[in-house]
Amino acid sequence: MARKQDRIGEGYGGEIALQNTKLGYGKTDLLQRAKEKGFVQKAAVSADEAFDGTIVVKDANLWYGSFQALKHVSVEIPNHKTTALIGPSGCGKSTFLKCLNRMNDLVPECKVDGSFRIGNRDIYGKIDVNLLRKNVGMVFQKPNPFPMSVYDNVTYGAKTFGIRKRSELDEIVETSLKQAAMWEELKDRLHQSALGLSGGQQQRLCIARALAVKPKVILMDEPTSALDPISTGKIEELCKELAKNTTIVIVTHNMQQAVRISDRTAFFLLGELVEFGDTEQVFHSPADERTSRYVSGRFG
Amino acid sequence: MNYAKGKEKAGKIAFMAMAIVCIVAVVAIFVFLTVRSIPAFRKIGFFEFLFGDNWASDRYDVYKDPLSGSYGIFTMIVGTLAATVGALLLGGVTGYFTAVFLAFFCPKRLKKPLSAVINLLAGIPSVVYGFFGIVFLLPILSTFAPNNGTGLLATSVILGIMILPTVVSLSKTSLEAVPLAYYEGATALGATHTKAVFSVMVPAARSGIAASLILGIGRALGETMAVVMVAGNAPTYPTGLFGSFRVLTANIVMEMGYAGEVQEDALIATGVVLLLFVLLVNLAFQAISGKAVEKITRKTAGKGRRNVLKEMRENLSYPLHLPEVGKGLAWACGIFSAVALLSILGFLFWKGVPTLIQKPSLLFGKYEFGSEDVTILPSIVSTLMVVALSLLIAVPVGCMTAIFLNEYTRNDSVFVKIVRTAIDILAGVPSIVYGLFGMITFVRIFTGASNLFAGSLTVSIMLLPTIVRSTEESLKSVQAGLREGSLALGAGKLRTILCVVLPSALPGILSAMILSMGRVISESAPFLYTAGSVLSGMPKGYFDSGATLAVALYRLSGEGWYMQEAYATAVILIVIVLALNFLAEGISSALEKRIKGENNGKKTR
Repeated sequence: MARKQDRIGEGYGGEIALQNTKLGYGKTDLLQRAKEKGFVQKAAVSADEAFDGTIVVKDANLWYGSFQALKHVSVEIPNHKTTALIGPSGCGKSTFLKCLNRMNDLVPECKVDGSFRIGNRDIYGKIDVNLLRKNVGMVFQKPNPFPMSVYDNVTYGAKTFGIRKRSELDEIVETSLKQAAMWEELKDRLHQSALGLSGGQQQRLCIARALAVKPKVILMDEPTSALDPISTGKIEELCKELAKNTTIVIVTHNMQQAVRISDRTAFFLLGELVEFGDTEQVFHSPADERTSRYVSGRFG
Repeated sequence: MNYAKGKEKAGKIAFMAMAIVCIVAVVAIFVFLTVRSIPAFRKIGFFEFLFGDNWASDRYDVYKDPLSGSYGIFTMIVGTLAATVGALLLGGVTGYFTAVFLAFFCPKRLKKPLSAVINLLAGIPSVVYGFFGIVFLLPILSTFAPNNGTGLLATSVILGIMILPTVVSLSKTSLEAVPLAYYEGATALGATHTKAVFSVMVPAARSGIAASLILGIGRALGETMAVVMVAGNAPTYPTGLFGSFRVLTANIVMEMGYAGEVQEDALIATGVVLLLFVLLVNLAFQAISGKAVEKITRKTAGKGRRNVLKEMRENLSYPLHLPEVGKGLAWACGIFSAVALLSILGFLFWKGVPTLIQKPSLLFGKYEFGSEDVTILPSIVSTLMVVALSLLIAVPVGCMTAIFLNEYTRNDSVFVKIVRTAIDILAGVPSIVYGLFGMITFVRIFTGASNLFAGSLTVSIMLLPTIVRSTEESLKSVQAGLREGSLALGAGKLRTILCVVLPSALPGILSAMILSMGRVISESAPFLYTAGSVLSGMPKGYFDSGATLAVALYRLSGEGWYMQEAYATAVILIVIVLALNFLAEGISSALEKRIKGENNGKKTR
């Protein structure tokens, strides 16, 4: 395990630098801005700069009341790769996903233990949860655009962190929508309600909205399960594009989708992580009998 | 910790503070009234007060000793119960059949307008009902009554009409909530439509209907002004259908204005007794409505399916003619309810509109002392002032309480339970009790004489439960996904609430605000002894007294000199209240549309 971690750790500095120049909006560094405005502590900013998308989870357990939803899950999710979480309903994969940006905090009676580190920071330790969620974006199963204009949707996160200047916001909108490959279709209707978009557009808008705050990790919870095949295809393409400089963790029930877009696959069953490895290996030569039965469609 | 965290914390504290205000209001009402009623019980005697049947107030404070007046409220307790039973027999039964009619027999085209008409009945101010009683019902009754028509019958009829909308809308909701499968099951066993309705559907909604009747009882118990205007108000037992009698609420209204020391204590004690009655009814309502929900969910869960089938079969073996009678009654009541409302509106408009046209001075005239021409312009101004200030107080407190309850707390915490109970209690307090409370607190604190400020404070407490509940409803209807979406972008709770949740809940909140406006305008009992009831010149400010429109109608109709003006005032009141109701409906649906982002129309650019 230690060996693996070393390998993952290699070459990070370079990549981060690259990423910063790539995604930085010219002079407008979001965190820098937030720091100036007093939204974030200086320490938090410097910690944030070291924040990369490597996720290391050790011996994670989670209970909803007395029900144990995650059992001794340990996993290392590499930076700038797409990792798919698969498994039958109720196996804990969405629960696990929500641990990574602490959305589980919202669930009453939810208790978590174990070590969760993203970018070498203990995310259940002394951190700013809002800053964590800025860095670890999330896309939900059902598209959830806010009831406001496309423009306001995309700039929502930036405004949260203190950016108010029109020109900067304009730039953020353009960059994010371009990243989400929907600038061309939306540039003329930026100021119309986002709720008037189609389901697929709404979901891609939600991705653009998440990208606008430059997350290091994007969590996707069955992002295409409510969409038609064409929209699904667009989102999968988008995922591949994004994986070049972001870590993506995606929960999916669609085996083909996992094969198409992910580099690594984790198979969950009854709260346990049964198998984790390269997607090709998990699907073609699974080490565990249960994985083999699941991926070949015998249960689930 | 830092700026953002500090803001979060300040937000939470502010929301929580408002929730505490609600608790304080309830506690204050109970403590003040109870403490102030203790001297009455001590001087008069607990038993003598409750079960004495002679109420002859006298100036104990002048004669010092012995107690020359007699204070027993038993006649009024009996009177209140009799009037409530009467209202239940007329309004409850009519309401029940009207609900059945609307749910199962009404032709589809008529259903919507009829439901709307009956809902409108709920919006009409109680003074208008009382006034209608004076000018329409009493003259008719007096043609065959031994007296001028006042008494139990007139009171029951008016109260019956007033509780009708409550009973109808709640019963209809629970009837419509009965799973259709029951109906199908019954018809599959060979039942006709009528039989299926009365033997299966209605019994299945039994507890919901019972809850609606109990809510009606609560409304009848607490009603003040309409009863005062038609009951006669002599402190005696109600004897037969006609004959002056007094109810508990009326006792307070009749004598509070000139009460001496012991008398005032006795009146406050009357208020406490009334409050206890209403609380008991509310407890019963909560128990039953809780059961109703439980029953329906249990039945549909399939656990008791066999029992349901058995019950169905037993019910189907009823003699055939009963349901047929029920069908006839349902039709009759449905039509009667609609006719009742239209005739009230029609009659008042027919009498009032000509006056409005002939005497513009009524609306725009200037008040002159001793002049024979009255003007209600000062009343309109007073009303607007009270509406503005009370909403200014109640809306922020109510909305923030609702936000605190819905966004910051878990349902099972003790604090939340206390706040919720406080809100429930506030909702049940009769409006005259608010008036009483306002009089012994706000009026005494500010200036000592009736003033608009005290009136606004009083009524703003009264508005809290409605605003809290409807805001909470709209907050609950905001999809959870939006909150998650905002939090997942790193926004704090405060920003999530202010920028995402509240805008989505706005239509509901706005319509609650408009309905609250209607409520302030139509109430009169809480204002009589807080804001003032004298028709005089323009109020000079919030610390001046002034009669609101509804109070003005009560005054004008009570004296008998200004009946034409009273008709006109009633028309104005009805128009305003109905307009506000329509506005509320319109605004919320329009905003709803805008928020949902109507696709069509916008694409064509």
